This record gives sequence, C-alpha cells and structure tokens, in this order.
Amino acid sequence: MLRALLNAEKPVILEGEKIVGTRTISRIPSIFTEAEWAEIRKTHTLHERGTVSNISPDYEGILRDGLGGRKSQVLERAKDPTLTEEQRLFLSAAVESIEAVQDFIQKYRVCARSAGLEDIASILDNIHSVGATTLREALQLLRMVHFALWESDCYHNTLGRFDQYIYPYYRADKAAGRITDQEAFDLIEEFFLTCNKDSDLYVGMQQGDNGQSIVLGGRNQKGEYLFNEVSRMCLKASYELNLIDPKINLRCDADTPLDVFIQGAHLTKRGLGFPQYDNDDVVIPGLEKLGYSPEDARNYVVAACWEFIIPKNGMEIVNIDALSFAGVVSDALEHLEEYASYEAFYAYVDNCIKAECERITQAHNNLYIVPAPFMSMLMGGTIEKARDISLGGNSNNYGVHGTGLSTAADSLAVIKKYYFEEKTLSLEELMDALHHNFKGHEALQEHLRNDAPKMGLDLEEPDSIGSALLKSFAEGLRGKRNERGGIWRAGTGTAMYYIFHAKDLPATPDGRYAGEVIPANFTPSMFLRQKGPVSVMRSFSKQKLEDAINGGPLTIELDESIFRNDESVEKLAMLIRSYIRMGGHQLQLNTLNRETLLDAKKHPEQHRDLIVRVWGWSGYFVELDECYQDHIIERIKYKI
Amino acid sequence: MTDGIVFSIEEFAINDGPGIRTTVFLKGCPLRCAWCHNPEGWSPLPEKMVKRGREETCGYRISSGELAERLGRDRDLFRDSGGGVTFTGGEPLMQSPFLCEVMDGLKDMHKAVETSGYAREDAFRSVMERADSLLFDIKLVDSALHRKYTGAGNELILRNLKTLIASGKPFVARIPLIPGVNDTRENMEATASLLQGAVGLQRVELLRYNRVAGAKYPMVGLSYRPPFDEEKEPAVYDAFTGLGMKLLVL
Ligand code: SF4
Repeated sequence: MLRALLNAEKPVILEGEKIVGTRTISRIPSIFTEAEWAEIRKTHTLHERGTVSNISPDYEGILRDGLGGRKSQVLERAKDPTLTEEQRLFLSAAVESIEAVQDFIQKYRVCARSAGLEDIASILDNIHSVGATTLREALQLLRMVHFALWESDCYHNTLGRFDQYIYPYYRADKAAGRITDQEAFDLIEEFFLTCNKDSDLYVGMQQGDNGQSIVLGGRNQKGEYLFNEVSRMCLKASYELNLIDPKINLRCDADTPLDVFIQGAHLTKRGLGFPQYDNDDVVIPGLEKLGYSPEDARNYVVAACWEFIIPKNGMEIVNIDALSFAGVVSDALEHLEEYASYEAFYAYVDNCIKAECERITQAHNNLYIVPAPFMSMLMGGTIEKARDISLGGNSNNYGVHGTGLSTAADSLAVIKKYYFEEKTLSLEELMDALHHNFKGHEALQEHLRNDAPKMGLDLEEPDSIGSALLKSFAEGLRGKRNERGGIWRAGTGTAMYYIFHAKDLPATPDGRYAGEVIPANFTPSMFLRQKGPVSVMRSFSKQKLEDAINGGPLTIELDESIFRNDESVEKLAMLIRSYIRMGGHQLQLNTLNRETLLDAKKHPEQHRDLIVRVWGWSGYFVELDECYQDHIIERIKYKI
Repeated sequence: MTDGIVFSIEEFAINDGPGIRTTVFLKGCPLRCAWCHNPEGWSPLPEKMVKRGREETCGYRISSGELAERLGRDRDLFRDSGGGVTFTGGEPLMQSPFLCEVMDGLKDMHKAVETSGYAREDAFRSVMERADSLLFDIKLVDSALHRKYTGAGNELILRNLKTLIASGKPFVARIPLIPGVNDTRENMEATASLLQGAVGLQRVELLRYNRVAGAKYPMVGLSYRPPFDEEKEPAVYDAFTGLGMKLLVL
C-alpha cells in the first residue's frame, strides 16, 4: 500500500529548496472498501479513522540507525526459525515498507541529479541507507520519514522532542566547523516550512488539527533541564515564520530560566495559540505514578493536542472516551432529596462517577486498528516481538477526558451553599427551575450565573469540590485494565466531547440553560465575572493534578493590549512562570480580541489569516464550524 | 481600623509599575478631568451602575485589615516577579488614613501609588513615606487651563510635586495626552522643566487618549461631552529625552 502510493508520488523540487519532499497525492485511498469496513465493524470497534494515530515515533533511533540499519535488524530477526507465519508476514511487510521509502528517496535523488542539484542528490545518497551525520542529513531524513508516515495513512503524526534529537547533529556540525548558526537556523526554518507546505493534505478532525506538535526543553535522564541552541532557534523560527505548524510545546519547571519564558511569551504574542506550557514538576511524577519508568516519564512529549505520551514506547489511545462530570452531577440531582447533608450527597456523586468509569472501561473492546508496518519500524518492541504496532506497543494505555468539570463543581457549590447550608434555595424551587429551563425563575438564574461562587475566583469552594471530582475520577479508573493490558488514565482535557456533552445536558444549578455551552478543557465557567488571571490560575492549580495527568490545559485568553511593549511581554512571562510554580500542569494562552472575532465571523474573507487555538490545536478561525466560532467569541466576552 | 471604599481590584495590571501587580481602585476624586474614563471613581460613596441592562453597586466598604490580608495572599507572586500592589482611583489620597493603614499592613511588598497630586500636604507626605514609588500625574502646567479642564487650579499639585522631587523617592511622571488640550510643545516643555534634575524620576509616560473614555458615563447616569476633538490623534511631543529623561508612550 505504502509502496503503491510512494510510487505514485511525483518528485517535486521547488526553487531554492534544501530539504525536499512535497506531497502530490491529495487523497489517500482507504485500504479497505466500504463493504470491508462494514464487515470489520460487525465484530470490532474502531477508534476515529481506524488507523494508527497520535503516538510519538522514535525519530532519534531512525536518524541514528538509518533505514538500511533498521532493515538489517528486521532481516536478522526474520532468521528466527520459531517465528509464526503471522510474524513472518509482518516482518516482510516491514522490510517492504522500508524499501518503499528507500525507493522514494532514490526517485528524488534521480530527479535532483537530472536537475543538476548535486548537493541535494548527494544528501539523498547519504541518507538512503545509513543514518544521518550532519544537521542537513538529519532534517532531510526526518522529512522523508515523517512524509512516509502521512503517506501510510497514519495521522496526528507528532514530531516529539525535536530539539533534543536534532541537537547532536547541530553540535557535530559546529564542532567540525561545517556550519554557522545562521545556516543552522535557516535549515530549521526550512524544515518548519516543509511542515506547512502540504499540511492542507493532512487530515485530522478539522482543518489545522493535524497534530504536528513538537516539544522543546524539558529534563534529560539525569534530571537536568535542557534548553539548547536548537530549542532557541525553534522558537525564533516559529516566531519569524508565523505559521501554524509545527505546534510548539514548551516543557518547563519551577527553575526554568525566566529568559525561556520570555521567548515563549514573545511567540505567544504572535497569536498562533502556542507555545503550550507543560510543567515537568507535575507531569513527570504523575506519569511515574501511572507506572511509567522514570526514563519514559522524563522523556514525555505531547500528542496532537495536550495528552502526555512517551516516544517510542507508548501505543496509547489518549482520547478513547470522556466522562461528563456535569452529566453525572445533573443525573445525581434527581436524587437530591434522599440526602440530608452535602457530604452524604457527594458520596452519592462519587459513586456515580465511579459507576460511569466502570461503564467506560467496559465499553471499549475488540478494538481494531489498521496495521502500520512502517510506523512499526519507528516504535519500540515491534521487531523483538515481530508484531505490528497496531496490535500494541510497550505500553497500551487508554486516556479518558473529563468534560464540564467547572460546570459540575460550580453546580455542586450552589447545592452546598444555598440548599444545604444557607437553606435559601428549596428543593422544589431548584428542581422546578432546572426542569423548566429556568422559565419563571429568571431572577434565580441571574443570581446563580452572576453571584454564585465559581471556580476561577480562588475561593475555597468550589475549588475543593473540583479537586474532589477529579479525585473521584482518578480513583474510578485506577487499577482497571483495558483489553490490551494497559491502564486507564484520567485527564482534564475535553477534545470535541465538550460540545457533544453540552448538547444533551439539561439546565444546571450554575444558571446554565439546557444545551448551553460548557467550557472546553480545564477552564472556568463562561459566567465567571473574572477577578483576573491570577485567581484563575490559583483556582486551577489547587487540584492534585499529577493524579489526573492524561493532559488537558487551563486556557486563558489574553487581550492584545498585553503585547504592546516588551515590558509587558516580560510580565506575561513572569505570570506563566508563576502558574508553573503554583503547580499547574499545562497552560495554553490565546491572544484574541472580541471585535476582531465578531468581524471575522461577519466578513470571513477579510480574516483568512486569523489563527485561533480551539481544543488543543491552532487553526484558521474562518475555517471553523460556527459552533466553534461562537464558543471562542463567548469566551472572550469575559476578558481575562 | 479604618474602613475604605474600593471600586475595583484588578489582577495582573500591566501598566502600573514593575513586575506582576494588583491594582486597587479607591473611590472618590476631588477633580473632574474632562477626559476622565473612570467617572464611577468620582463619588466617594458606593453608587448604582447599570451594565448591559443589569444593575449593580459600584464600590464596597472594606476594612484596611481585610484589604491588606487579601492583597497579601499574592505575596509570593509579587516577590518572584519584583511586583507588588498599586493604589489608584479616583484619587487614592482622598482616603489617605485608610490607605496608610493598608500600606502598613503590606510592609514586605512593593507598593506604588498613582495620584493626581491634588491632596493636602500632610496627607501627601504620609502616603509618600509609605510608598516605594509614585506614579504622579501632571496634566497641565498652566493653572488657568488646569482649572478649565479639571475644575481646579494646580498650585497644590505642583507643591506636592516639589515635595516628591525633594524627597528623592522614585517616581514615574504620567501625562495623559489629550488632543488639543495639553499635547502642545509649550506644555511639554514646561512639564520637562518641572522635572529637570529630579533624581527620583524613573521615566516619563505619555498615555494616549483612549476613545473608550466615555463608555462608562451612561452607566452611572452621566453623559460624556468632551470639550475637545476626540477623533483627533494627540500629538506626541518629546521634550524629555533631550534632557536625559526616559520616555515611554503607552
Ligand atoms: S484625577 Fe483621575 S480620577 Fe480624578 S477626574 Fe481626573 S482622571 Fe478622573
């Protein structure tokens, strides 16, 4: 399959290009016919598009070993006489996939040579079978490998710890006097450009949601914080190019130098919706608690959106399902009268969350994933086990999102305060208001929306209720196993689930109408009358986040005024660092202005280049569905 | 313990001094600047305000101890970033006994006060002594024009400015740039000569007139009728850098 497609690709070398490889086939045909898919669905479940996605390949290894090196490893393994027929088939498919990529490189080489582009041809020669030795070779091989992953119909193809695995090649070039910093920077910039060249052909769930994330900084195996020249160049290249790919994550911790945050804040100013900041101090211990080795935990990267995954070793499905916190609370309210105290009622909610976790963990069986021989060559354990990565990797954990956390916590805070404690809200009034969508209870609704306590105000409640809900969620999944032998991870992300869950959700005690939106990710209610970003950060860093570490950021939208001068950008950097020091796990910053957005909705043709980050990815605003546009506009009404 | 009237507390205020800061707005102002964009800060008492059809009370009573306690919660943040608290208004010196008590409760953090300088000298001194830096507004040097546009002459203001300069306390001079009112070469040069030689002067900030200034007037039952042309861009005349002062246009 991969061979056929790569054969069909016509080599294109654009004027002045140093790193080649441009996609010319716009749609990859499905490996199965509709009838065959239907047959598979009879006995199996599929995840999203059914192919391997959203994992982090071992680029470090392939750049080192080269395609030929990898091929010999497979051939060596194939000599084992005890292999089963199935294993043999896998290994030969793997060899074939490698050869297809090699032939593809060869085709480009011929094209380059006949065009008289000797330097390109010789680079392609060098990376045809052996590993890279220079920065340019490394980037060219990376391009070819990444290209082949897309072509093999894998998607959400992340780029991992780019600065860490590229750095040795930069160092070697510098040490040998082969390259200047400017040349290195130009190459990195060109690589970033290649990620955008054909990105319209890379599908995800929406345009722009292509998952080409990279991760910069973070700790090494000795626990030292790394932020090298390549990391710096990446931030600068992204700032200069001002393009949506690759999407940058910045790993940081309490001791990360302010200068790194400042560079990040300057990129934030671009309004691309990244970098996203990830806190090693919380993520690494959280992953270790889930059972990852300290090596793997320290090596974490970020998936297409925000989920924490492990390069090479993690064949996780990080978004297999979602718990609706607000839905569970809403259902539980129907039994409110049976409970005499808030504590007793919460114990019931806790039970309901755990029952829902039980249901979710039972619901995902007979998963089928389309085999991915080439991706398998970039993942750990596949050659030893002679088994395709689609059947499982070294770890096979499932992640579960949690939607409507703040809606649920705010609602419970209302019940606790007004119903149980102050007794100013009777059961009859509450239930009548909720069942009739606040019709005839407008004053109550106003009061609940505007005056009731909310997460984001740095109040003891509902923040502690938010913590309790997350704890129930984490406990509900803890110790359970999925059919692939992996565990279940609780998280604070929502992906698109928050839209689905909000649609069917009845009116809630926080004053929300039936069907009205709920916030995305780990974010305060739309009704919050902000005290400000500091209170929001405090409210959303109190929880024991390392116990719900599937991923899912606090999102704060920033007004453009913050970026009028360098001094205020520096202050923003300090604010980001403060959030990390408070113990927040993940932070996403958007820079938006409401007028622009409203205008963009009305006159999309004038705002083609307006970029927003929606639920973990950046895309062009005018290309989004209306419901997403409305949601973004709604958020900014309450400027932080 | 004294009570005060506060009408807003803004977190992560980026234009009110160094580092991460919280800015506290104290209610009440003796001046009536024609370009004022905080008319809800004029009356010293809580008042009705209608926002998007919803009525609310602007301003609330809070004790100095409670306010200091609240602001103190972000101590770590302020320390980390070299930030602190800024008091503004209205005119914060109108509540100087309250303000002094709050500041006494915040001994271990950086405190800045933004003032129009229109205050009794003893009040000015007692607040100045407690502050780490001041943001001192200089609207117009000509007293007659000052009276015309703010409702009062500037003699008191200039006397307090002298006190401030003599003390050596760090301060930022702030000039709102109002088109056709004070954005003249003459006024800027006069301002510069007032500031010349002030050792405490950190920089001069020119704050461009903001067209949303009138937005809040209807909310407090007033109408906004500026006696100058709002549409005109104010002129930026730099009489400062030539004299060795730092200038920032915001
Ligand atoms: S001094 Fe400040 S608060 Fe008072 S009227 Fe003038 S601009 Fe408004």
